Amino acid sequence: MDREEAFEKVVKILTPHVKDQTALASASDKTNILDDLKVNSARLVDVVLAFEDEFDIEIPDEDVDSVNTIGDCVKLILAKSS
Amino acid sequence: MPAFPLNASERRALDFQRLVGRVLAPMWIPVCVGIMYFVFRWRIEGTQEARRTYTQIRHNRATPVLICANHLTMFDSCVIAWALASPWRNVADYASLPWNTPERANFASTWWKRALVWLMKCLPVQRGGDRRAVGAVLKQLIYLMGRGEAGLLFPEGGRSRTGRVNTQAVTYGIGRVVRALPGCRVVCVYLRGKAQETWTARPKSGETFRISVACFEPKSDHRGLRGSVDISGQILERLAAMEREHFDGR
Repeated sequence: MDREEAFEKVVKILTPHVKDQTALASASDKTNILDDLKVNSARLVDVVLAFEDEFDIEIPDEDVDSVNTIGDCVKLILAKSS
Repeated sequence: MPAFPLNASERRALDFQRLVGRVLAPMWIPVCVGIMYFVFRWRIEGTQEARRTYTQIRHNRATPVLICANHLTMFDSCVIAWALASPWRNVADYASLPWNTPERANFASTWWKRALVWLMKCLPVQRGGDRRAVGAVLKQLIYLMGRGEAGLLFPEGGRSRTGRVNTQAVTYGIGRVVRALPGCRVVCVYLRGKAQETWTARPKSGETFRISVACFEPKSDHRGLRGSVDISGQILERLAAMEREHFDGR
């Protein structure tokens, strides 16, 4: 799986939780999930669990701390997938 | 033994915070309880049973104790601490008085508030803030609980916006703390004022609370984040069941 594919899947998983859909339309690696996309912090758990299911990976609690931007998600997924 | 991911200076800072609070406890704990009792005229039903249960749970110091409660007002942690032990017991057995993680915007917005909550066993956190900062506070709590201190967390992550325990508001923080501390027992506390219909900043003056306490050791077969979410969910379900009992018994 390449970075672009992972990015697209991350955006797709985030979509139902995003309150600011216009920010999602122009999303990049630097887009902050909580501040820019206005995803509820409690829903971040659902998002990360969806990553586990979609990419068949296991994400430890500590790694969730490093998830702030879409780029962080992609980086984490690629690291766990490999 | 749990892993203590804090460095030496972070550990020293927490130990110093605890020491200062401990030394000044004979002053600030009775003052807090006095304000609740005489100024706000709050009363609590069920303290005898709650204190007996909590004392039994705390009797075994080898295993960590995490208090998890429903959350309706900004004073819940104070009332819970008072309900679970008399002010004199909290002074004498300072480790039983739980560490709390209040919202930074509410409790640590000015220097004097920060000083007060620092003294009163608090680790302010910005809910929904930077995940690393939130994770750092959880690590501090894990460190303290690993040293025999009690901790207090609200599984919903904030006050119940519907006035009832929201079992859908599952966060992973509590599960993470429980999983980091092998054998950790969870003391579920359901506290509600008789006039408390929904969430507010402060309970009404003259309010009478009812408290119930249940202890269990949550387990999960899942690993990673899923395991933490599973444990947080079990605790929320237990609190929801206690809430049903509360209203059935009214």
